[in-house]
Amino acid sequence: MASIDIKNVRKDFGPVSVLKGVDLAIASGEFAVLVGPSGCGKSTLLRLIAGLEDASSGEIHIGGRRVDDLPPRDRDIAMVFQSYALYPHMNVRDNMGYSLRLKRTPQARIAEIVGRAGAKLGLEALGERKPRELSGGQRQRVAMGRAIVRNPKAFLFDEPLSNLDARMREQMRFEIRKLHRDLGATSVYVTHDQIEAMTMADRIVAMNAGIIQQVGTPLELYDDPANVFVAGFIGSPAMNFLSGEARRGETGVALSVGGKAFCTLSQAVAVPEDGRVTIGIRPERIRIGVGAGQVVEAAADLVETTGAASVVHVDLAGQAMKIFTTERLQLTQGQRIPLAIDAKDVCLFDPAGGGRLR
Amino acid sequence: MFEPYLYSAPALLLVAATTLVPIVIGISYAFRNIMLLDPTSGGFVGLDNFRELLRDASFWNALKNTVVWTASCVGFQFLFGLILALMLNRPFPGRALIQATIFLPWAIPTFLVGMNWSWLLNPAIGPLPHWAYALGLMNAPDNILSDPDYALWGPIFAGIWWGTPFFAITLLAALQSIPREIYEAAEIDGAGGLERFRSITLPFLAPTMVITVLLRTIWVANSPELIVVMTKGGPADASQIVASYVFTQAYQGLNFGYASAVATALVLLLLIYAFLLIAIRQAMLGRR
Repeated sequence: MASIDIKNVRKDFGPVSVLKGVDLAIASGEFAVLVGPSGCGKSTLLRLIAGLEDASSGEIHIGGRRVDDLPPRDRDIAMVFQSYALYPHMNVRDNMGYSLRLKRTPQARIAEIVGRAGAKLGLEALGERKPRELSGGQRQRVAMGRAIVRNPKAFLFDEPLSNLDARMREQMRFEIRKLHRDLGATSVYVTHDQIEAMTMADRIVAMNAGIIQQVGTPLELYDDPANVFVAGFIGSPAMNFLSGEARRGETGVALSVGGKAFCTLSQAVAVPEDGRVTIGIRPERIRIGVGAGQVVEAAADLVETTGAASVVHVDLAGQAMKIFTTERLQLTQGQRIPLAIDAKDVCLFDPAGGGRLR
Repeated sequence: MFEPYLYSAPALLLVAATTLVPIVIGISYAFRNIMLLDPTSGGFVGLDNFRELLRDASFWNALKNTVVWTASCVGFQFLFGLILALMLNRPFPGRALIQATIFLPWAIPTFLVGMNWSWLLNPAIGPLPHWAYALGLMNAPDNILSDPDYALWGPIFAGIWWGTPFFAITLLAALQSIPREIYEAAEIDGAGGLERFRSITLPFLAPTMVITVLLRTIWVANSPELIVVMTKGGPADASQIVASYVFTQAYQGLNFGYASAVATALVLLLLIYAFLLIAIRQAMLGRR
């Protein structure tokens, strides 16, 4: 167990800057999830921590020791790859024991450690099998087992669940979390899937275009996003963004969309001079019907239902918006529906830079 | 009940006409006495040609040379091809150019390769004997092609030069199919360069290695071109292999019957070799 400190790390591939100065501190025992769209630099950052790539500049420390000049095997980390990267010609037991064999651990000790890891992962019966004789979920477990037996300072996961079907993914998500709870090892987990990030992370590191956008607990990112990117990336269905105007009045800041009143914020907000803002509101925070807050009228477009809940697509002054509701609704296209908006659920962003207006 | 045979008949007829008929006719020559310059020849002589074969010291010498020729050619081609493939598998500036250059010999007709090497080895025009002499490898800058003890090595050098790219190409293709993540996983697991080669590269390459070595062995054992062009099997049959002996018997001795008997013996030997290898392969596959 160890902390990981990343100080002003840059990575350039020729003229392309993949990481543009990253600072990040991951506490000992923490489960940190790097999340972002493909090409945002999250996998590169993980590979830098592992030592599979060299940073162009900056420092990486694991457990207080500077490691950026050390080869991967001296960094005392274990990694689980997206493709699992199991050794196809070795059986499950040899796959898991390979690192111990390289360290010249006695046979009996290897068997003991591998057996314990296998029992933890439910692989006891599969010891003699070759990777190609295993299902995707079993391969995933072997890859985890290979990481566990090394008892490393930190676990690195590179999109480990992307090759599994949805049901298996859900189960492995849960198992990885439980494993982390049992082992308490520092973990860095890369994913493009915000649901994995939300459900698994102690802390989420949201990245875009080689820059860390926000670091925080899942609910911090969800409730209090730092910018339009984080607000739009975290949460499904995604946050609604409406372009509107803000005008400072006597009771607060009055927001309007397409000339119609939307809601009034009582707290002070720094509004741009021209009054143009991006209004963000999460689909599940909009209530259909007349309530305590401001009421705006929208036209129903389409209802998608999953059984447990429905997403209602509506048109508000020419802008599309989604509403997430657990009520079962029968709506016809074009039907006018009243929406109740609570001012405390509204986030304002600068339409030019995308930053949060507070 | 004949219907299934009717469906497969066109394919069978085609195979028979194009493959089996020539083989059967060729083998039938081995049991006849066919001398091109003797109009009275051509009669059936039973196993006479084969009896003569067993007593023919030149044949046994050629058989011994075939083993030396094939093992040396294939062995060195494989070794150099593997080294080249490993070197070309890592990126470096100018790799594409060097790759193209290295694969060039494979594109040259064997006939030209033979001519080129016999000139290189000829002290009157080629530099190689003088270099070897200057390095102390030879007592005098002689032509090894005219030395009965070393004549076979001339075609072997040419064969190694010509055939190495084949192994380099196929092994490089196999190397490039190894997922990079497996090497990375091994690197993190603590494997050094040599250990990664031993525990990942070799097991991945093994099937390709087995197949290419098998194919090349039969191919090289059957190819007399370099020897015919460079030494004509000489001096005094010193560099004769079975395949070139067939050629010599047919077109210099004009004894087609005997040449066919030698060829039939070669086919039999290669068939035995092929069956052995297939059996070994089956056994290996069964064990996996």
